[in-house]
Amino acid sequence: METIAMPAINFAAIMPETILSVIAMALLLINVFVPSEQKAYLGYLSLIGIVVTFFTVIGGWGTPQEGFNGSVMQDNFALFFKGIFLVSAALSILISDQYMKREECNHGELYPLILLATCGMMLMASGTDLMTIFLGLELLSVSLYVLAGFQRDSLKSNEAGLKYFLLGAFSTGFLLYGMALIYGATGTTRIAAIASYVAQNSLAGSNLMLLIGMVLMAVGFSFKIAAAPFHMWTPDVYEGAPTPMTAFMSVGPKAAGFAAFVRVFVIALPTLRADWADLLWVLAVLTMTVGNITALYQKNIKRMLAYSSIAHAGYVLVGFVAGNAVGTAGIMFYMLSYAFMNIGAFAIIVLVGKKGEPNNNVEDYAGFGFKHPLLAVCMSIFLFSLAGIPPAAGFIGKFYLFSGAIQAGYIWLAIIGVLNSAASVYYYLRVMVFMYMKDPVEEFDWLKVSPAIALCLIIAVAGVLIPGIVPGYLLELAQKAVLL
Amino acid sequence: MWPPKGNHMGLPLQRKIMEQIIFYILAAATVIATVFSITERHAVHAIVYLVTSFFALAVIFYLLGAPLVAVFEVIIYAGAIMVLFMFVIMMLDLGHPEKVGTPGIRDWWPALVLAGVVFAAIVTIVAAATGSPAAGQAIGVREFALVLFQRYGVAIEIISMQLLFALVGALYLGRRQGKGEKP
Repeated sequence: METIAMPAINFAAIMPETILSVIAMALLLINVFVPSEQKAYLGYLSLIGIVVTFFTVIGGWGTPQEGFNGSVMQDNFALFFKGIFLVSAALSILISDQYMKREECNHGELYPLILLATCGMMLMASGTDLMTIFLGLELLSVSLYVLAGFQRDSLKSNEAGLKYFLLGAFSTGFLLYGMALIYGATGTTRIAAIASYVAQNSLAGSNLMLLIGMVLMAVGFSFKIAAAPFHMWTPDVYEGAPTPMTAFMSVGPKAAGFAAFVRVFVIALPTLRADWADLLWVLAVLTMTVGNITALYQKNIKRMLAYSSIAHAGYVLVGFVAGNAVGTAGIMFYMLSYAFMNIGAFAIIVLVGKKGEPNNNVEDYAGFGFKHPLLAVCMSIFLFSLAGIPPAAGFIGKFYLFSGAIQAGYIWLAIIGVLNSAASVYYYLRVMVFMYMKDPVEEFDWLKVSPAIALCLIIAVAGVLIPGIVPGYLLELAQKAVLL
Repeated sequence: MWPPKGNHMGLPLQRKIMEQIIFYILAAATVIATVFSITERHAVHAIVYLVTSFFALAVIFYLLGAPLVAVFEVIIYAGAIMVLFMFVIMMLDLGHPEKVGTPGIRDWWPALVLAGVVFAAIVTIVAAATGSPAAGQAIGVREFALVLFQRYGVAIEIISMQLLFALVGALYLGRRQGKGEKP
């Protein structure tokens, strides 16, 4: 009998993905035997899985692995992003249990779905074939649609899930069409082969199909990272989704979108750099400005953080436009610190709410600082970091993003970024004004901090302050992970 | 003779005409069945129409010299996926159509406009195309398997995970939770 020569299967290249998906499937089975009051154990199991995966990520550092005939490439760039995804998944799982119990929605499917979404993000970060990147994105999106609508008895959550699904499917269409056009222009989906084909046949600048494909891909990725003018879904979905899942989807998918965006554009289309840098310049300015200005008049804190996350996508785009080592290292450093500060802020939002009363308005925080000083200090640290005030990590991240832009000659972009950052201080400080300068209306006596959330807050505060005060080590890691 | 060699040039005229007639009948059947599967409010009926459309499409693939794709169309789409649809509909108990009137022209016009745009694009492309279509090389199981497992090995794995978890998600979201009902 004839046999097919199987390709060299290099599992080292997809080790983290393999472990996570095996654990996700095992949890699906275990879920059946766990009574509904004890679903937290599934969370602990998935945390163990995440820690194990994290060690394989650390172990893989510095030894790039290519696998599956060039479909995936686990280099330092991918590994750094995988670290970010694991951190955001772990922190979100830590705050999930208390929230889901309170809302009477602690179903065991939550944890496998989070793990699988993380697996999809990892494939996006390490994919070197447009096909792999697209499938990773779909793996992520399908899980996120369910997670956004996870509170199936709540109308708001249903609305969030459906809206995310419809607009996500729409944006996927753009991305896929762009990829198809690029395949049509170059005859390959391997991103390195695309670059060499474009260079050999000097298609850059003359080939309309390639150019349209590039623009459509940029549109598709911009949907995923919530860049203006493709950000319309963000506030509604963030507001309606269960708060821990909002925390999860505001960080991980955004980082994954950037990872794939940067890898495809920097490696596959370096010859079109002049074109896409102009495009992204406009996108960055629009995203920062629209995000910040709209956030100024939000009353609901979840919506405010949604617009703030749009603005943050704009800051990160500044580093992308710069395109040099400083800017790209800035992207990675910033996404990591964003994971800590944003999920930390959402952890406090989870705590302030109670069953049936999410207490999501800024007024609900009146006097919070007097009733729960420690939690209010944590919230202030996260908000300072989001605003980019030293010594928090958000400041260092923004500093590197903007100095990357200045080094690359985009002085105006950096100036617009700094102005935007200054405007954003207003709405972050407003929460603090309510916490510390208004008389308490509520007693906040329902508020109980579970050990898991306490652990999440400790990790998040450490993750914001330590890199903010001694950023050297993390920055060095990020610089070693730069693709260039 | 199986699989049909795709080189239609050497065929007798009668057979060529015959093939064209069959093609147009099948194409009409595909389009009509698909239209019915969209307009039908009863989910099970819609699936039966969709299966019909898949069968017609499969024979079109066969005529074009792609017997393997034709078999896949029947086994995977008409077989596995449709059974899966039926399974989900039965599981979630969605087989009872609600008494809703058929959508009026106002609900249809975006779809009609898009369909018109796509149709115009196809006509333009076909009109501009020169030369004969690429049909002709019958792709065998071997070539297909080589590409599938050598080039797209990891993609196959990802898709399988995706289908599994899409099903998990659909079951989770679709399961109704009444007051007295155990989840």
